[in-house]
Amino acid sequence: MTDNDIIAQIVQGDRNLFRKLVEKYQSMVFRTCMGFLHHKDDADDLTQEVFIQTYQTLPAFKGDASFSTWIYRITVNASLNKIRKSQKNQFLQRLESVLGSDTGKEYSIPIADADNPENILISSEHREWVQRALNSLPENQRTAIVLSKYDDLSQKEIASIMNTTEGAVEALIQRAKSNLREKLSALQKKKKK
Amino acid sequence: MNCQLCQKEFESYLRGSLPEGITIQVKAHLESCKTCAQSYQLMAIADRIMDEEKSMQSNPFLVTRIMSAIEEPEQNREGFSLTAVFQKVLKPFLISASLAAAIFAGVVFGNLSLPTTSSDLPVELSYMNDSALESVDLFSKL
Repeated sequence: MTDNDIIAQIVQGDRNLFRKLVEKYQSMVFRTCMGFLHHKDDADDLTQEVFIQTYQTLPAFKGDASFSTWIYRITVNASLNKIRKSQKNQFLQRLESVLGSDTGKEYSIPIADADNPENILISSEHREWVQRALNSLPENQRTAIVLSKYDDLSQKEIASIMNTTEGAVEALIQRAKSNLREKLSALQKKKKK
Repeated sequence: MNCQLCQKEFESYLRGSLPEGITIQVKAHLESCKTCAQSYQLMAIADRIMDEEKSMQSNPFLVTRIMSAIEEPEQNREGFSLTAVFQKVLKPFLISASLAAAIFAGVVFGNLSLPTTSSDLPVELSYMNDSALESVDLFSKL
C-alpha cells in the first residue's frame, strides 16, 4: 500500500491507518526537529505536534509532491516557528531564571568519554559552541544544513522541500558551512581571551 | 593548495572520500597551516556533535502518544485546558504584575527615606513648638 493509498483511506475515516505513517516517518521527523532544537524532549514534543498538524491537514494533501516532502515542509515550518516563539519568550525565561523558578535546560546527549571530567567539560563546551553557531545561522542556511547533515538529503530533495533550485541549495550549504567555521573560530578565540 | 581550497575539502577529507592525490595535498596543507588546522579541528568537532544528535532515538512511546492525541476530543487539542491557560496567560500576567508591584513598592519605600523639603513643621510637631507663643525676651523684661 503506497502513502497516497493510506492517506486516501485516512481521509475517508480510517484513523488507525495513520499509525502506519507515524511509524514510517517518526525517526525522520524527530531527526529534523533535533537538528533545529538540539534537545531531546523538545524534539519529541515537536514531533508529536508535527504529526497532529499533519493529521489535521491531510485532506489538503493533493499529492503534487511526495508525502515525505510534504511532511518535511511541515516539520521545517514547525521548527522555525518554535524557534521564533522561543526567541520571543526569551525575556520571560530570563526573568524566570532570575526569580529562580527555571532550573535551565540541560544538554541531554550522553557524553562519549564520561570517565574523564576534563573531557566531559570540553565536550559539553564544544556542544554548546556548535549549537550556538548553528542557531545563529540565517533561517534558510540553517534549514539547508540541517536537511543535509541530519537527514542526509540530496541537494535535489532539499531544493524540492525549500521550493528553490539545486544551485541555490548548494550556495546556501556552502555559506552555512563557512559561517559555521567563522562562528566556531570566533567562539574559540573568545574562550582563549 | 591554498587555504580556501583546503577548507572547501574539509568535509570530504573528514569522511575519507577524497581522491588520494587531493588527500595528500590537504594533509600537507593542514600540517603547514596552523589556521586551517585549527579550523579543521573545529569542523571535525562540529561534525561529531551533529552525528551524535543525529543518532539519538525518539521516545519509544511517541507513536502511542501521537495516536492518543489524535483520538482526544478536538477541544483538548486546541489547548483550552487550565494548564494551557495558565502557561499562556496567567503566568506572564502574574510575573508582570509582581514585577510592577515590586517597582511600585521600591518607589514608595524609597520616597519614605527622603528628607522633607518643606520648611513647615508637621502637624504633630506643631503642638510642641511653642516659639510662636510668647517670647523669652518678654519674660526677661518683667
